[in-house]
Amino acid sequence: MQQQGNESSDPTFGFLTTVDSPTHGVFGGYLVVDAGGRPLEFHCTTPLKVSRAQQILYGATLQGHLHGRQIGAALLAEGGAAPVAVLIDSEAMLHVRSHTLLPVALVQRLSGEEGSGGFVIGGVTVTPTVTPGEKGDSQSLRRLLEILAGAVDLCEPFERIRSAIEEAQRH
Amino acid sequence: MADGLRTIAGDDLVLSTPRAMKVPLAALAMPRVLRLPLAGAVPVVTSLPLLNSAPAVSRYRFPRHASAVANVAPPVEFAQGSAVPDSGKEEGRGAGAVPRLLRTRIAPPGDVVRMEERLFFLLQPDLESLLRSCRLGFPRQPFPFQLEGMAFLLPRHGAVLADEMGLGKSMQAISSLRLLIHAGEARRVLVVCPKGLVSNWVRELGDWASEIPVAVIEGDPQKRRWLWSLPDVAVKIANYESVVRDREMVAELGVSFDLVVLDEAQRIKNRASQTSHAVRSLSRRRSWALTGTPVENSSDDLVGIFEFVAPGQLHEQMSPREMGSAAADHVLRRTKDKVLKDLPPRLNRDERIELTPEQRETYRQAEEDGVLRLADMGRSATIRHVFELVLRLKQVCNFDTATGESAKLDCLQSDLEEIQASGRKALVFSQWVETLGRLKTALGRFGALEYHGGMSTAARDEAIRRFKHQKEHSVLLLSYGAGAVGLNLQFSQYVFLFDRWWNPAVEDQAINRAHRIGAAGAVTVSRYLAADTIEERIDEVLRKKRNLSEAILSQTEPGEGTGLTVDELFALFKLPPPARAAAA
Repeated sequence: MQQQGNESSDPTFGFLTTVDSPTHGVFGGYLVVDAGGRPLEFHCTTPLKVSRAQQILYGATLQGHLHGRQIGAALLAEGGAAPVAVLIDSEAMLHVRSHTLLPVALVQRLSGEEGSGGFVIGGVTVTPTVTPGEKGDSQSLRRLLEILAGAVDLCEPFERIRSAIEEAQRH
Repeated sequence: MADGLRTIAGDDLVLSTPRAMKVPLAALAMPRVLRLPLAGAVPVVTSLPLLNSAPAVSRYRFPRHASAVANVAPPVEFAQGSAVPDSGKEEGRGAGAVPRLLRTRIAPPGDVVRMEERLFFLLQPDLESLLRSCRLGFPRQPFPFQLEGMAFLLPRHGAVLADEMGLGKSMQAISSLRLLIHAGEARRVLVVCPKGLVSNWVRELGDWASEIPVAVIEGDPQKRRWLWSLPDVAVKIANYESVVRDREMVAELGVSFDLVVLDEAQRIKNRASQTSHAVRSLSRRRSWALTGTPVENSSDDLVGIFEFVAPGQLHEQMSPREMGSAAADHVLRRTKDKVLKDLPPRLNRDERIELTPEQRETYRQAEEDGVLRLADMGRSATIRHVFELVLRLKQVCNFDTATGESAKLDCLQSDLEEIQASGRKALVFSQWVETLGRLKTALGRFGALEYHGGMSTAARDEAIRRFKHQKEHSVLLLSYGAGAVGLNLQFSQYVFLFDRWWNPAVEDQAINRAHRIGAAGAVTVSRYLAADTIEERIDEVLRKKRNLSEAILSQTEPGEGTGLTVDELFALFKLPPPARAAAA
């Protein structure tokens, strides 16, 4: 498991997502940026293709296992800098929580109100996956994410990851 | 679990053969026993690989604090020898702030082939975010296509920005070089432009990158030598003639540049010319060329420009298709019709023009004499006397009364060449019929036609008809009085205010002959202002007054509201205002 998030004066942020390619399978991408949104590290996986039998046997657990354990955990294991949090953009990736000590937060572009345990920054809902007893950590995370959101839209780095994976496929 | 199928702990599936069969009991009186040979029987096992093996991971690491404006590609040598930004709040952002909603990506150039370098560009924040994080705002909000132009220039060592005239090539180049300078990627930049545009570049650099030190290469050889070797000036501006003249001096000094920007780069289309040789001999890492007409006469023109931008990339034997393909990644060309979709935007260009030395001397003499005369008149000087002096000086700004020289005419001819080459049409306004006459003579090759109150109605109608329908007439010369109202000339894409009217509203009416509903495209308005003259002083005052009531403005006689008050007119020459009774 990875070390815990680093809240030093020079915070970094991880963005973790997957790209589903009909021809190749599921790619994973993990981007670490500084507080200005500039890239520090990028890791991407070879594609994983799921067979029909695997789909049947894993059933509803497939997505969580594939995204969280197989791809997410492998990518986080490669990360050098410990970010203050790992931001994900799909619920399937929430399963990565079991494989890292880093705080994980789901970010989604929503128009609604803050959800339970979540907060809104720049039109993006952030739902940290912390336990109720860790509310202080959530506030700290919020402050740090507000710094990042001053530089970039919190959903935007996921687009960069997708572009980079597309580029990697072309080469 | 179904009979004959079971899973075992772990992630592998195990299928086994059936171990027993059920026999319906009611079928026979005595059950028949089937014996199956179990001893030594091994079930056939089929294993399906599930998702246990982790995928291979590729790793890329980037230097901290680097950005897309940094040079990731190896430098190419040519020649011979912020604090935390706000949290997404929109309040308080000026019109010139960097927009948040736009996302202009800096794509890797085609000649960047290493995966790591390409990913470095792709993983950068958008240009708007980079600008925000550098706290670099703009005095005016750039158009999205201008940001795209910056995203094109920034990662390229060799680039031709070939936007149509009026789309802001200079602004895009300045904003890009500014980012390079702030990223520490450029410390010595040279802008080479035609002599008449030097002051324009100085002004534009002041507008778009006011924090960057600028020096103009000028003066006697000793001064020029000193200027060329000045180490602490980020941007130097030289005209083409200076570069040719000082070629050996620059080589001897061993001056090299991180970036050389050529304005009106069609000047080097002839590779055999001294200008081309001199420019190409400049030691540099990046080479950007700005031109509205990259191909004036033949595709060889582009080959000439590329000898500066990317030597060897193009050659004359290429077919147009091959040349286009080879040049594609280095050239960005937009036209107004493509980038300005809504009803025609009006693009204003304030052209600050340096008088020729002779013209400057005539002007200086006329002003000194006039001011002395007014001073001698003392309190008997009236607004009419001041007004006459203003008119006399403005005429010198148009044409030197002693030699007939005109810096404005030189500039206009340069602009019209490009307009004629692109098949467009231009309107030129002046307040004097005499000026229009001189322009008509000088602009004969553009098929210049006149339109003013001294002509009969029939002659004026005929001029409009010919201008509209005959391709050889690229320019129509109009007086503000006759041409500012009632004409629909929306097929013209360019308006030049050769001299300035007293009242901005009249200028707007003149401009709106072309800039109106039905216009073929964006309208570029060039307002000529002679630098350091009465024209500039009047313009400053009018700018400040633009929001004031138009009641103080007039289109006709002095003293009845000229756009300037009596006090302001006297203040143009640092004279005390006249006694109220005299002014009345």
